[in-house]
Amino acid sequence: MARLTTESTIYITYIATTPEKCWEAITTAAFTKLYFFGHTVESDWKAGGDIIYRTPDGKVDVQGRILECDPPHFVRFTWRVDWIAELRHPPDSIVSYRIERAGDGVVRFTMTEEHPEPIDARLLEGGRSGWPLILSGLKSVLETGKMFKADPPSPPKAMQDYIKELQK
Amino acid sequence: MSKSKFVHVTYIRTTADKLWDALTKAEFVKLYWFGMHQDSEWREGSSWAMVDSKGETWDSGKILEADRPHKLVISWHHEHHAAARAEGHSRMTYTIEKAGSVIKLTVTHESDTEDSALITAVSGGWPMVLASLKTFLETGEALPDPRAAA
Repeated sequence: MARLTTESTIYITYIATTPEKCWEAITTAAFTKLYFFGHTVESDWKAGGDIIYRTPDGKVDVQGRILECDPPHFVRFTWRVDWIAELRHPPDSIVSYRIERAGDGVVRFTMTEEHPEPIDARLLEGGRSGWPLILSGLKSVLETGKMFKADPPSPPKAMQDYIKELQK
Repeated sequence: MSKSKFVHVTYIRTTADKLWDALTKAEFVKLYWFGMHQDSEWREGSSWAMVDSKGETWDSGKILEADRPHKLVISWHHEHHAAARAEGHSRMTYTIEKAGSVIKLTVTHESDTEDSALITAVSGGWPMVLASLKTFLETGEALPDPRAAA
């Protein structure tokens, strides 16, 4: 039985960097392609503008609209997964990145994935398996200058089952 | 099923054995756990304690499962703050898995208390400790304490 939820996913990490460098790493394609499964980000980073994450072959993976943008501390945008045709309909999720100074030479980075409209709970598993790898990569890139090679987690089974149901 | 639960996953450029040592050897733990360390023989049934730099015990318990370098389960009783102390034992699990050239570490901390004060408190602490652990293993130096005034 499908369980609907409006639960958020929150991931917090601490990175030895400055807010400005962290902002650059989340807003420029040259950085995102290192740690975001090879995806490049495109946006003018102004409220009302578009945001797109493209796969290495140029396809749109995620698209949305910037709701709030306050460089180098906060950005919040709608998030629509484009690579799964069945998920291209509302409700969109909302993703935000918050960057705060914490201690000497450290930033606290908070990613929040909100679901203002109820969604099938199984869909949360996608973000819960993907974000830790992406944000661990962000931290490694900023602290060591290089990305590691990791096997991307396969879409969690619960999420695959849900997508199969939609395809019926 | 536990009534309160915190889960945090991080990927670290290291090996499973190095991560196990970093999680268990007091001389390593002291370097990145913001002054705290843990005393245990890390065998099933061994006692376990989280101790600060002045020697005061903050948490105590025992090792429920120790499968080096894959899985460690600790029965974890907080002793310092009254509300969390009154909740009795919680359960903390490290799961260590290989994921390509890196290691996936999953920390699961759960309690049978609804809206557990302990789980709320550790939900703030674990991201800091695990970020410092990752920095320590990847760069050789721990993270400066994020709670210090800049």
